Amino acid sequence: MGSRRRHIFWVITKRWWRAVYLARFGIISATRRREIFARQLREAFEELGPAFIKLGQLISIRPDMFPPEYVFEMEHLRDEVAATPFEMVRPVIERDFGHSLDELFNTFDTTPIGSASIAQVYQATLQVDYTPVIGDSLPAGTKLAIKVIRPGSEETIKADIAVITPLVNRLSRIKRLARFGLSQLLSEFADSLASECDLRIEGRTSDRFAFDFADDPYVTTAAIVWPLTSRHVLTMKFIEGWHLDQAKEAEAAGVDARFLAMYGANVFMKQVMVLGRFHADLHQSNLLMTPDGRICYIDFGITGEVREEDKEAIAQVLAATVYADAKRAIDYSAALGLVVSDEKTDEVTARVAELMSRTFSVTPRDVRGFAIGFLSIMNEQKVSVPRGFGLLIKALVVVEGCAQMVYSDIDIVDAAKEFTTTLVLKHMLQPARLYARIPRAVDAAIAELIG
Amino acid sequence: MLTNTDVMKFLAVWELLHESADEALKAGIARGEDTTQGEMNADKGAFVDGLAAMVNARKDILKAELAAGSDESLEKDEGPAAEAVAELRFEVAELRGRLESMNATLDALATKL
Repeated sequence: MGSRRRHIFWVITKRWWRAVYLARFGIISATRRREIFARQLREAFEELGPAFIKLGQLISIRPDMFPPEYVFEMEHLRDEVAATPFEMVRPVIERDFGHSLDELFNTFDTTPIGSASIAQVYQATLQVDYTPVIGDSLPAGTKLAIKVIRPGSEETIKADIAVITPLVNRLSRIKRLARFGLSQLLSEFADSLASECDLRIEGRTSDRFAFDFADDPYVTTAAIVWPLTSRHVLTMKFIEGWHLDQAKEAEAAGVDARFLAMYGANVFMKQVMVLGRFHADLHQSNLLMTPDGRICYIDFGITGEVREEDKEAIAQVLAATVYADAKRAIDYSAALGLVVSDEKTDEVTARVAELMSRTFSVTPRDVRGFAIGFLSIMNEQKVSVPRGFGLLIKALVVVEGCAQMVYSDIDIVDAAKEFTTTLVLKHMLQPARLYARIPRAVDAAIAELIG
Repeated sequence: MLTNTDVMKFLAVWELLHESADEALKAGIARGEDTTQGEMNADKGAFVDGLAAMVNARKDILKAELAAGSDESLEKDEGPAAEAVAELRFEVAELRGRLESMNATLDALATKL
């Protein structure tokens, strides 16, 4: 452990000095300086391996805690590691099910099709017919994707956490770093890791998603094969399809890739504002366009939740953003816990309005630019951003990124306009709400008639 | 005293009102349909026109569905009881999935005994 501690210390120090040098010893602008430090930190995390890659991924979904430059830089973390030899993976599967691979699967390809820090993915075929929780029966011979926790990965990450905990605790005592809540982040990291290493949780989330979108002709997910799923092994139907950057190939096969990319924005809105739970880890490898013209969502390792009472406020904030109404957006943000003090309201509203006019006057609208600018304003004004709010903004940017990976001119604000407008109208037309507004409406009508 | 002429005049006013509203709505829809990206945010009038066009597009879909003999939007609205049944069915199926997984783990443990 001593040498690992020295190595971590060496890599962090080396990258820190490099950042100081590239930032011209601090004489460049604060934003540019943060960008340089963020990039060096991201590269340090990649150099230090799985535990740090996962830590970086956690930072990338916490715009409520870290400056936007760090949050958006961590998106570029490459979670690609050399595959563990299959002879080390085989015992994990056989131990969890008490049978040999030949008894469990019809065929099993021992070459992994994917390899990340926590798990590896293989291809196999189903031995007997199976009826999944949601969706059509899978006949014997169906192609499967088998996700297996890499042996020792959990222990390695835990050992790294044990090494960095004293360091993080020490850093937390430094006044300038205290606001990042590093100790709390580390404890959340340990919790999320435990959840990510139990693949049954991911399987259940996937089934729930499949149920929520069972009636949607354009959305699908991989059916889970539960008799071949355990804590360390997740077996699901293998989905054939194209990644987002393969729109041309998908279209050549008759898939309307542009429609699916626009539709994806509405799927996200539905997840947030109607269902109250959303896929918070969307990226290139977690989305596919299928030959039957659907979007397939896979890998439900990280999800976000929205409280029932927050749904309307989120719809209002999004609608206000869609219609570039800064005041309304700030007003409704308060209901979500983003509270701007009275003395700052005018300045913050004016700055957000200026940001909206700048980022939304281009074609397509620049949601990412708006999100970075919005979080920067809140950061500068020392307005704390609630966790759910931050996660939502980040997820919205990711949805835009995914849609624009298909076609760079897609405007997700336009794509989401009908959904948010309809939803806000639905909220406005609730009988109880209308009843409460009748006296004011009558007063207004009388005032108008009398002149 | 109310005369026949008054009644006819009232009905004529009523019809004129509807005709004007109908023409205004049609003009609004036409303007809304011509709205290009971003213009719907320009002012309240543009927003109402855009909204009218969106509602009109939905109306056309509904008309087509009714003409085809299937109104999807009405068919899906099966009420809270149907939703509760579907939710319960899902929970039972999910429980079956959990049991299948637990059974596989139990089998694995049994082989080690």
